[in-house]
Amino acid sequence: MRVQLFATCLGDLIFPDAVRDAEALLRDADVDVDFVERQVCCGQPAFNAGHRKAAKRVARTFDKAFSRDHPIVLASGSCATMASHYLPKLLDIEPYEVWELSSFLEHLGVEVASTNTGRTLAYHDSCHMLRDLDISDAPRRLLEKSGATLAPLERSDLCCGFGGTFSVRQPEVSVAMADDKLAAAADSGAEALVTADPGCLMHLTGRANRVGGVPIVHLATALRHGVGPTSG
Amino acid sequence: MIARGKLADPRVQEAIDSSTERLRSHRIDAWNELDDVEGRRARAYEIRMRAVRDIDGNLNRFRSALEARGGHVSVCASAEEANAYVVDVCKRHGAKLLAKSKSMATEEIGLNDALEAAGITSVETDLGEYILQLEGEHPVHIVAPAIEKTKEDVARLFTDVEGVDVPPVLEELTASARRQLRQVFLDADVGVTGANFVVAETGTVVTVTNEGNGRLCASLPRVHIVVTGIERLVERMEDLPHLLSLLGRSATGQRLTSYTHLVTGPRREGEQDGPEELHVIFLENGRRNLIDTKYEEMLACIRCGSCLNVCPVYRKTAGAAYGPVYSGPMGAVLAPLLVGLEQAPSLPHASSLCGACTQACPVKIPLHELLLELRSDLVEERTAPFLERLGFSLWSVAWSTPIGYRISTRLARLGQRWGSRLGPGRVWAGGRDLPALARKRFRDVR
Repeated sequence: MRVQLFATCLGDLIFPDAVRDAEALLRDADVDVDFVERQVCCGQPAFNAGHRKAAKRVARTFDKAFSRDHPIVLASGSCATMASHYLPKLLDIEPYEVWELSSFLEHLGVEVASTNTGRTLAYHDSCHMLRDLDISDAPRRLLEKSGATLAPLERSDLCCGFGGTFSVRQPEVSVAMADDKLAAAADSGAEALVTADPGCLMHLTGRANRVGGVPIVHLATALRHGVGPTSG
Repeated sequence: MIARGKLADPRVQEAIDSSTERLRSHRIDAWNELDDVEGRRARAYEIRMRAVRDIDGNLNRFRSALEARGGHVSVCASAEEANAYVVDVCKRHGAKLLAKSKSMATEEIGLNDALEAAGITSVETDLGEYILQLEGEHPVHIVAPAIEKTKEDVARLFTDVEGVDVPPVLEELTASARRQLRQVFLDADVGVTGANFVVAETGTVVTVTNEGNGRLCASLPRVHIVVTGIERLVERMEDLPHLLSLLGRSATGQRLTSYTHLVTGPRREGEQDGPEELHVIFLENGRRNLIDTKYEEMLACIRCGSCLNVCPVYRKTAGAAYGPVYSGPMGAVLAPLLVGLEQAPSLPHASSLCGACTQACPVKIPLHELLLELRSDLVEERTAPFLERLGFSLWSVAWSTPIGYRISTRLARLGQRWGSRLGPGRVWAGGRDLPALARKRFRDVR
């Protein structure tokens, strides 16, 4: 099995460790991982803000970089939605086979190392992954396989408030939504909050750095290394 | 229109949070009783879109059917036209007092103000609307208008009106409202209601309420005037039960609301009750802008309010992030389409695009995708700010090649210490730490 890894811009620039962990998880599952150097971004930031011409310009880099010979795997629910749902329509091209990491690992039926034995974690559903891709069980099952007990997170389906440019157009509302999410995580009794989306991770971490809260960890990191005192 | 959604004050936010959460969970419970939920949503979509795609045909059929029963039908292009029609009918009958039931269409046209200007007293008889009228406020929720009011707020208002102490106990409050409103129903010369659906083939106006006030407005006064949007039409009577079953469940979690009132014409000879005259006003007021466009599906909306109750932005801001009449995701889509995008450029952005609205919509309107379309139109029409358009253009040129990406991200790393001092970075940093760009990108170290 060979896949093409899409780092995504946030993964490449801000969370390279999470992408490395995603790559390692794939290799551990005996998957050959190609990293296409020409890749840039799927264009989602511009697309969601309504700037379609700009989005097309950037999305074309995706179309030029990736082939249809092997599945594309990425550790971001929202970029996976863009790449699988919106990008082909935007560019009027044939769709690609795109997999969000956790659903791909589950699809392969991989064994996960017991990295979280004895730990209690909470999982935050990111919006596109939950509603557009309909993936909510895979990340939870993988975390449980890694030994974690999942603490129920109240309204785990509520948006964390990131929403791309929404976060700076409606900053007060955006931050208030993050506060609700952080409060729910604290109330859950979990040692850390896990999310499969770099956007949520960036937003919630940015807020938690100001007001405190449990560590927020990318799913790939949580699965690969476990959630320890240093991983937040 | 409000440029930036301000958070509601904490007390209001708490009231909205608990009310919307209650409506949301009731809706989920009510839908859980049903099998084949997706099939039912698809059928509702089909019924609504069939009607929307032939609005003029349905209007003509309705007109023929109702006129044959002695009713009057008028299509009004604007709010002014509709208000003038109502005032005119009132004047012809020498009406001084008008009893009104809840209707978003009359909110949209500002009917109460027009009536007041003409010297006619209009009393809202829906409990929530009545409370707001006493406060001099407007509804913030299309189904539960006074959603942010507590029973203490209401007790204070009613105590003032009645001049006797009304305790903040639900039964006492409704009893007080009944005392205050009963005489209005008996004295009113004209009753005004909205319509939840209008059946074209039979000429029937359908209203659903839980308080029975709509039925009193429609049957006690001598004249009944219905104000409704042209998109409320459905083609056939057999379409109605399916929509009613979803409306009640979606709006309040009820299998059916307490009252479902079907009016087909004024009082006929030998009948005991009903108005002598019935007028049905169909309001266009911008709705024709949507027909045969990519936004046509918005006309399928049945005003159940589900999208408000699931929307995290609505819950944080109450009505304040939206236009003056329609709020929540449906309002963020509909209002700019009715009044023009340039009049409401912030509304398509009053959403994190989480998609909860689309998932909750009983008639499958892709609300968050329509918001994306509106955002695109804002850019195409150059209503979006110049600096924003310039920023995205420059960014997209830089990121249109791998080398441009490498150079621009290297520069961004060098310049990131200033990131929190200007533009969007500054806004972000108002409440959150800016993320640090990694010293080595993923592609540099693998």
